[in-house]
Amino acid sequence: MWNDLVSLLFLAYEQFMYLSLFIEIALIFIFIAIIVTLMSYGSILFRRYDSYVYQKRMAHLSPIIEDLITEQVLLNENLGKDIPVDEIEFDQQAISNKLFRKPVVRQILIDTLIRYRKNFRGEVGELLRKLYTEMNLIEDSFAKLRTFKWETKIKALVELTQMDIPISDSMLLPLTNSTNPTLRAASRNAYIQLSKNEPFKFFDIATEPILPWDQLEMFKIITNTKDVTIPNFSRWVSYSNNKSIVTFCLKLIAHYDQQSAIPAIIELLSTKDHYFRAHAINCLGKLSAEIAEEKLVTIYTSQPVNCQIEIIIALGRISSGKHLEFLKQEFLFSSNFDVQMNAARSIIRHNSQNSRSMLTEIMETTNEENQLIIKHCQNPLIKY
Amino acid sequence: MKVIIDFFSKGTFWDILGIFFQYAVFIYGTSLLLAYGLLAILSLTSIRRYMKKNASVDYNIIIESPLAPGISVIAPAFNEGITIIANTRSLLTFNYPKYEVILINDGSTDDTLEKLVDEFELVQVDYAYREKLLSKPVKRIFKSTNPAYDKLVVIDKVNGKSKADASNAGINVAAFDYYLCTDVDCILDKDTLIKLIKPFMDAETSTVREVNGDIQIQEDYKRVIACGATLRMVNSCEVDEGLMMRVRPPRRILPRFQEMEYIRAFVLGKMGWDTINSVPNVSGGLGMFDKEVAIKAGGYDSLSLAEDMDLITRMGAYMTDNKKKYSVKYVPVTLCWTEGPTTLKVFGRQRSRWGRGLAQLMSTHRKILFNPRYGRMGMIVFPYHFFYELLAPIIEFLGILFYIYLIITKQINWPNAIILIVFVYTYSVMITTVALLWDQITFKYYKTWGETIGLCLMAFIEPFVYHPLIMFFALNGYFNFIIGKKHVWGNMQRQGFSPTKKKSTVKAG
Repeated sequence: MWNDLVSLLFLAYEQFMYLSLFIEIALIFIFIAIIVTLMSYGSILFRRYDSYVYQKRMAHLSPIIEDLITEQVLLNENLGKDIPVDEIEFDQQAISNKLFRKPVVRQILIDTLIRYRKNFRGEVGELLRKLYTEMNLIEDSFAKLRTFKWETKIKALVELTQMDIPISDSMLLPLTNSTNPTLRAASRNAYIQLSKNEPFKFFDIATEPILPWDQLEMFKIITNTKDVTIPNFSRWVSYSNNKSIVTFCLKLIAHYDQQSAIPAIIELLSTKDHYFRAHAINCLGKLSAEIAEEKLVTIYTSQPVNCQIEIIIALGRISSGKHLEFLKQEFLFSSNFDVQMNAARSIIRHNSQNSRSMLTEIMETTNEENQLIIKHCQNPLIKY
Repeated sequence: MKVIIDFFSKGTFWDILGIFFQYAVFIYGTSLLLAYGLLAILSLTSIRRYMKKNASVDYNIIIESPLAPGISVIAPAFNEGITIIANTRSLLTFNYPKYEVILINDGSTDDTLEKLVDEFELVQVDYAYREKLLSKPVKRIFKSTNPAYDKLVVIDKVNGKSKADASNAGINVAAFDYYLCTDVDCILDKDTLIKLIKPFMDAETSTVREVNGDIQIQEDYKRVIACGATLRMVNSCEVDEGLMMRVRPPRRILPRFQEMEYIRAFVLGKMGWDTINSVPNVSGGLGMFDKEVAIKAGGYDSLSLAEDMDLITRMGAYMTDNKKKYSVKYVPVTLCWTEGPTTLKVFGRQRSRWGRGLAQLMSTHRKILFNPRYGRMGMIVFPYHFFYELLAPIIEFLGILFYIYLIITKQINWPNAIILIVFVYTYSVMITTVALLWDQITFKYYKTWGETIGLCLMAFIEPFVYHPLIMFFALNGYFNFIIGKKHVWGNMQRQGFSPTKKKSTVKAG
């Protein structure tokens, strides 16, 4: 049988070698195409079957895990009795069930505990954390953190952060400057949440940027996490070489209204990067930095359009009234439509006796086109 | 070598030409199939990277973030009276904190505008409209007096006989730095804006490096100028008030082939190109763009029949001319469902327009072809499209004629001919099946395995039924381009969405 097959293959090979090159190539491709097509069909069907099996498994395991959490945590009889969480004991027989030794089950258990912890704080949250550590799931997470796969590391970081498990600086800090943007962002978020004393320490060593999307996430974590020590962000504005960190700090300064940072931001106005400068001007406006008004007006003519527009918006936000005439001149004589629009908005934003009479005067004396701009900006229906 | 020299010395001119043609076609065909194979591998890399990268992303953070960039949604409408209300409502319900919906009534002759005015309580406003991009005159601009619709802006303009013209008017009104261009009759996923803005916000900015003890900032900013996503057919899907309730492959054969073709083009093609930063275009049905670059590149060309690819080409050329790095991104998830033509007449008109648009594009931007100054666009994107998109129908057609000639003159070697046909056939089935597998990896859109396998099986009949049609209509488009026949926009009878069947008339190519 075996010999027959070998001789058949040998015969086929001999015949194949006599074919022209085109036909040989075509036959090889046909063979590959048939194999790949069959494998693709197999893979499609297998993936659907696998997903079906996973759902079945989840349907079986979920109630068991939910029961465990309900009995050991949510309905724990020692809750609410002023007993420290550390002293509350679990039913050892229940938590050492053989089922919970399987890696797949342990992962589902971790995911479920995280889901619960997102919804429960206080004593229940602490007890969920204790269950996580007592079932030694913490080791599973640390094992993931030690792997080479970045996506597994991220999973570990999320688990440990959600469970509020401290990670040593020696392990976490290098990851905050990883060249992999996704891992870097996850590590930085974890660092802010887990480091109690210096949550922004990585700002000092970061050479890799904080991407705009990561800024969203970090901003949410900083503003939503309790007990985060908010530093004076102007120190990074003054000394960091990392533009994205300075830009992000400007947003945080504006959010926390850190007036003491104004001098450091004014220093940024001499930076060569005009996008960067526009961020600084924007921040000064949001801080209503009246002290910076003169400087902004002085540098105005030497600025590119994006910075000029930011200056005009900032003057509107500050609304001191000292530069209404400047805004009027820009509105009437600028050749840039966006400058005109923003100048009109800034005058309206002043909402003072002077600004109102200025608008009336403009409407009486200016051309139809400018009148239309004023009407546009005054119309409450036009939001943006 | 001696055999070849002997042959050339003895053979007639037609023999030599025939042999040359056979060799050339074989090499051309094999290289084309290899290119598809390479794209399949690249797209898998890209899809896996996307899946891994986004597995831990919480998209909801942007919904409540004050740092979210604003987006203008631009949707031209022409005679959409029957479905305009439901579709506009759908556009107003995106999960995103800061956006506006700009609806352009492109000189509709039905009651599209009246319905909008009544339903959304619109009033004409004094709007300072400034024409940054050319378009037909804007007559009026409306805003809603109802705060619930404060995101809505309706532009009423003179019909410009193209989507490009209406889109330009929309861009002129857009308040934000990014805009999403779509068709008002498309069904969009609620997370479309979140999913499409992310690649713009993931662009690397600058890196600080320590060089010989000195801190140096290295600017490595690759600006994302556009981002697209997969489109599918809405035919046979269940849609309720502009919301996708249940995804199904189309039941009718023509849209069903198109569904398969779209998956292949987007999931396998565009994602493959994305890996090597060479995405050739972002579909007109759904695409997000950097407004500043789009305006500086001149916006949409209302005379172009491939206005979406034309815009990306000009945006890319603008960036290259100004020595700025850029990228065009694609996400492998389906965010848009569009109605595919169900009749051969409308389908043929659409495909002829596409063919003609490609010829027009290659002719207009011929300076980019093989121009190393344009980097990947000049050396990869354009050559690929020239050889494997523009020339493919012509070479295929000539090949068929040559086969017929060989059969008639009884010169054909049937065993070899059959092997070559089987080669092309099995390979094309393989590419389509692989594309459908990649699609399954990203998300299981179809509820049952029967629907999935049912669509896969279409690959077996595509080469005999669907492919010849595409080739024919593409050639028809080229022919119209060569003779300069005036393009006429036709009407497409919209079937409406299941479960309620509605009919409306919209512009289609």
